[in-house]
Amino acid sequence: MRFPAWRHLRMACQILCLLAFLWLFLQTEYRGSDTLRYPVSLLFRIDPLAALAAALAPGDFGWLLLWPALLLAALTALFGRFFCGWICPLGTTLDGVGKLVGRGRLSPRPAWRRIKYYLLVAMTAAALFGVQLFGLLDPLSIFLRSLTFSFNPAFNLVANSLFDFFYRHPVPLVSPLVNGSYDFFRDHLLAFHPPAYELALPTLAIFLGILLLERVERRFWCKNLCPLGALLGLCSRRSLVTRAPAKVCDDCRRCLSECRSGAVTETTHRKDECLLCFDCSGFCPANRVVFTLGLRPTAAGRVDLTRRGLVTSLAAGALVAPVAGSAPNLWNRDPYLLRPPGSLAETEFLRRCIRCGECMKVCIGGALHPALLQAGLSGFYTPLLVPRIGYCEYNCTLCGQVCPTGAIGLLNLAEKQKAVIGIAVFDQDRCLPFARGEECLVCEEHCPTGEKAIVFVEKEVWVGSEMRRLKVPRLIKSRCVGCGICETRCPLEGASAIRVINEGESRRARDPWA
Amino acid sequence: MARMDRREFVRRSLQVAAVSSAVGGVPLLDLLSFPARAAEVGGVKLAVRKGKDIPALVGETLGALGGMAIFVKRGETVVVKPNIGWDRTVEQGANTHPLVVRAVIEHCLEAGAKDVRVFDRTCNDPRRCYVQSGIQEAVEGLKSERVKIEHMDRRAYRELDIANGKDLTRWSFYQPALDADRFINLPVAKHHGISTLTLGMKNIMGVIGGNRGRLHQNIAESLADINSVVHSTLTLVDATRILTANGPQGGRLEDVRVLDTLIASADIVAADAYAATLFGHRPEEIATVAAGARRGLGSLDLSPGRMA
Repeated sequence: MRFPAWRHLRMACQILCLLAFLWLFLQTEYRGSDTLRYPVSLLFRIDPLAALAAALAPGDFGWLLLWPALLLAALTALFGRFFCGWICPLGTTLDGVGKLVGRGRLSPRPAWRRIKYYLLVAMTAAALFGVQLFGLLDPLSIFLRSLTFSFNPAFNLVANSLFDFFYRHPVPLVSPLVNGSYDFFRDHLLAFHPPAYELALPTLAIFLGILLLERVERRFWCKNLCPLGALLGLCSRRSLVTRAPAKVCDDCRRCLSECRSGAVTETTHRKDECLLCFDCSGFCPANRVVFTLGLRPTAAGRVDLTRRGLVTSLAAGALVAPVAGSAPNLWNRDPYLLRPPGSLAETEFLRRCIRCGECMKVCIGGALHPALLQAGLSGFYTPLLVPRIGYCEYNCTLCGQVCPTGAIGLLNLAEKQKAVIGIAVFDQDRCLPFARGEECLVCEEHCPTGEKAIVFVEKEVWVGSEMRRLKVPRLIKSRCVGCGICETRCPLEGASAIRVINEGESRRARDPWA
Repeated sequence: MARMDRREFVRRSLQVAAVSSAVGGVPLLDLLSFPARAAEVGGVKLAVRKGKDIPALVGETLGALGGMAIFVKRGETVVVKPNIGWDRTVEQGANTHPLVVRAVIEHCLEAGAKDVRVFDRTCNDPRRCYVQSGIQEAVEGLKSERVKIEHMDRRAYRELDIANGKDLTRWSFYQPALDADRFINLPVAKHHGISTLTLGMKNIMGVIGGNRGRLHQNIAESLADINSVVHSTLTLVDATRILTANGPQGGRLEDVRVLDTLIASADIVAADAYAATLFGHRPEEIATVAAGARRGLGSLDLSPGRMA
């Protein structure tokens, strides 16, 4: 088939995939059933970079979760980097918004495309030596984090403010219309609880930065920086899809400037760079370009990394990781570093978590939030449980259901209810019954364990010259799972007078010498 | 509704007639349907019934008070407010029994209610509570266009002054609960830490906004305050099974006792007072109930003469 059919087919596929991923994003929420109906984190289960991270982490690989990623790698080996050209939502966004941003033709040095391989090599070396950085630059993680932390909260904020305004101020004609459409928005597009994340702005900045790189060069990110592109490029070097002519033609040379991925060069057609967008078969003035599927793969061009570059990136990764790992454990010193229930022990968790943000999107209580530096330098964007903002719902197992790499284990309800996130401790200087001799006990009311972990004792205390009979809360350690509802609901202003600390969390490796 | 004697009835009728004729064709408020007030409340009946068949039990209990038609008139809007506070199943007894909710709504429909709305500001995630309690399914199962179960609309809270408020002088209330012609209060009887028991008066916390935990600092007077704003036309306490410990959230079947009992009255204090006795408490031991009586929301009187 020739242009424009393939090109249009490709564009249709891009748009459909993008819409499908957006739809899955909207489904990443509790919708009346304890088990999510759709594989909402599909984007990461087909992500070979996530699979690489999981493979290099300690513990089992997680075949059940990540076999689709291996399938994608295999398909890429057969057919080339079709994922980048046809499916990747970030690539589609760049293709779609590129025109708006303005596409530059600064044609940076062709050698820059090697950067992505060096990044991949460095990150792989780092992962081998104990520090996983794939998640930071995984394009799919970047895409979903931008949606989760920036665009979705902003959309909800704007939409809710508009609905609020027209609800409170009846404007003729407009208000009935807006109010009438509220139910549809509420049921299908708006989040049940308005989402809010502290890293909204930095996340947006990263996304916009990648977008602005289009001004330098079309698909700058994909061509020069994307580590997933590099991984898929390595897979596709001997793909069965072959392009003819196999290099730029002497009488035209248009491919040199037009190819969005710089795959056609003076000497070869680089399979590891070609995104299979099929544009060239359209714009070729002589209609020479033909893609054929042949069982005998032709020799691919060399990736031609420089030896010095390769060694440097390997060394960088291999050096940075142990140096970073040699720092004293942060999680062991910061009592407020809480992880979702079922999380792996911290070191393995950091190596397995792909920073996709799915758990933070799905969390029914809005309890999970991205870390900036709270979990150390390499913990950027990993999920933290912040009970003052939201608590872990006792009967909910959604975060484990969406985690694509198994960093948060899939627990059944009974297991989840036994998974200890931490333990609640009272701040007796502020807690009302302790500090001021006033009644309260909101924490006890909300405590969800069958036999309450927070109980109370009745005491007679002197408050000034008055003797009061008071119910004073107490914590029973063996019952507390650290869900944090007490901290969320504590009615004091500002910080809660009961806080969850990570003491005794289930995931902690017990020190055999202790 | 208060029972009126003949003399009172005639007097009121004359008043209505006089005002009607004075104002002519202007549509009038129905003076007779003004909520029962403290002075009249003493004579209000209290119905307690037992039975295993919940729809029949609801019918019997309401029947003892003269049927739902006494409380809900044709064409009126009704709010039915069960306790849907917790992500707990029916057997765990932390929420009002869905069959009670459903039967009460059916009686409202039969009485000719134009519109019945069901909602609660929950403690756990609202979606989970609505589903897990079985109440959403039960209400939607009625398949009536006049009945709607809905989540709280965050736009619809209003700050109001509380006249004669003792602990709270101003608080945020859920407007749809105040706008309805009739408010039917359907609490489930449960153990509760700070207030010993949670019954009808505490169930009103489900239609207020704001930082509700604040009320715990003076729970009895606070509840009396908000109950002076949100008036329950009828309180029907679900004691088909009661939670005797680890309330109000519960979770252990060992703490649930099946009593197959319903208590109904237009007097919220009387209904709560009777419910307290099911737990072995004297009504005046429960500070919220005592405060309700002291503040004129109803009467603690459980004498045989009051029982319907």
